[in-house]
Amino acid sequence: MSDGDRLTRPLTPEPGRKTDESGPARPDVRKPDGGNELLRRMKKVDPDQAKRYRQRSGE
Amino acid sequence: MNGKILAGIETEYGLYLEGRGAEDQVDDSMALVRKYPGECFVHWDYRYESPRADLRGFKLERLAFDPADAKFDEGRIRGKDHEIRSDRILPNGARFYNDHGHPEYSTPECWSLDELTLHDCAGQIVVLRAAEAFAEASGREVRVYKNNTDFHGASYGTHENYLVPRRLGFENLFKAVLPMLVARQVLTGAGKVGSEAGPKCRYQLSQRADFFAEPVNTETLYRRPIFNTRDEPHADPRDWIRLHVISGDANMIPRCTARKVGLVKLALLLAVNGTAPSWRIADPVRTFQSISRDQTGEYRIELEGRSWTTAREILESYFAASEATLDLDDDSRWVVHNSRLLLDALDHDPAFARAQVDWAAKRGMLEHFMQEESLDWDDPSLPAFDLEYHNVDPEQSLYGALQEMGTVEGNPPERELVPRINEVFEPTRAVARGAAVANFGDFLKAASWSSLTFEIEGKYVELELRPDAEYPQQLREIRDVGTFIETIKERLA
Repeated sequence: MSDGDRLTRPLTPEPGRKTDESGPARPDVRKPDGGNELLRRMKKVDPDQAKRYRQRSGE
Repeated sequence: MNGKILAGIETEYGLYLEGRGAEDQVDDSMALVRKYPGECFVHWDYRYESPRADLRGFKLERLAFDPADAKFDEGRIRGKDHEIRSDRILPNGARFYNDHGHPEYSTPECWSLDELTLHDCAGQIVVLRAAEAFAEASGREVRVYKNNTDFHGASYGTHENYLVPRRLGFENLFKAVLPMLVARQVLTGAGKVGSEAGPKCRYQLSQRADFFAEPVNTETLYRRPIFNTRDEPHADPRDWIRLHVISGDANMIPRCTARKVGLVKLALLLAVNGTAPSWRIADPVRTFQSISRDQTGEYRIELEGRSWTTAREILESYFAASEATLDLDDDSRWVVHNSRLLLDALDHDPAFARAQVDWAAKRGMLEHFMQEESLDWDDPSLPAFDLEYHNVDPEQSLYGALQEMGTVEGNPPERELVPRINEVFEPTRAVARGAAVANFGDFLKAASWSSLTFEIEGKYVELELRPDAEYPQQLREIRDVGTFIETIKERLA
């Protein structure tokens, strides 16, 4: 990464809102609510399913 | 354009058959499509297709292909191209066919984000019905996945199509859209466990990021670009460009699909208006991949000239320019409002983020399971859960479980989806295509996105379907083929 200047606006001047200079934090994506149906299905997943899954390249 | 852009989505589905491999996939995909049990017409008109034409004004000699796939075809003898593709055109104007071994559903053209999202979801039902019929006939377990990777280096696409005026030209389109394509994955990525090329990671935002090799080119199968320049308008090429976006992910959450399309529409409307923000990203391919792998939430982007910004600031610049310079319709206002809410939620409201965007929903699901089962990110079973998130069968899908639990903004109810398998409710040219399939199969000889060809009393009659005309629902009530053709001609005159 360069140590150059940070641009918070596009090169073409356009009216806009102020940007947040503080920088975002890591998204907090903790466990979803509930969980019984999800866990039930996850425990039924064959852990090797993705290993067997081979595809041709598409577009 | 009246501030509206006609758009569609093509989804290539992943296909798994018990006891079969990638070398069988073309045959299996053909057979699956042919088992579709619903009403359809089978003769697609390929005359107007031009996948080697480039928006920059030249035509490639040939398109590149993945050399690994060539090995699968050694010693295999298949029929003619149209037999392999096995096209099905549905009474809603959609196209369902085999594309390089993947069942592909191309929605009818839609004006609104709501209708496009509904048709994208209805397509999942079409594919699932075909898969169920094929499973019954073959006696094998068949699974279909709405995703973009096999976790072993093979990718398949979910493409968006946007019809814009030819006068915009390549340069304007490229400058207006490329920064959006790089930045929008933060709000639209489907999420992926691990990496298949480039720097290693445990989890990333985009299913497709590993597969881009160049910022811009015409290819789609190999050395894929972020900005695809295929010039195949499916309309009068003097008037229209169909922007073919191949860098997006297959989304399970319908709101994510709507946001994905709505963000590109914003960029295009700004381009038409001459007010798109200007950003010069130093290395678009590397940046696409680094944003996808960003674990900090900063989403830093290096710009030309030793300066830098973030994906958030690029997105906000489009929102601000839209509000300042466009007369926004309801769809565009929703895109701006919802996107800002989601950007804020990524920092402050994880439940909202998990409900709205697939990468956050999937990551939350995986972290929940890892905690329950005392696993970590190195566990080799995680790609299997990633894959099953995308299972199209709502009874098996992990996304379906999250929907059942209310953790994600789920699919619309079936009462809204099932009618759209056989009908289209906006006055687009899909009404005419669908009506011809539903009512005039005895006369219809071939159909494409832009034309219908009939045979009447031994004479061929070709009808152009202009994309900007209005095609009312009354066309579906006409039962005489001659009246149908004359009515459309009168509307187009």
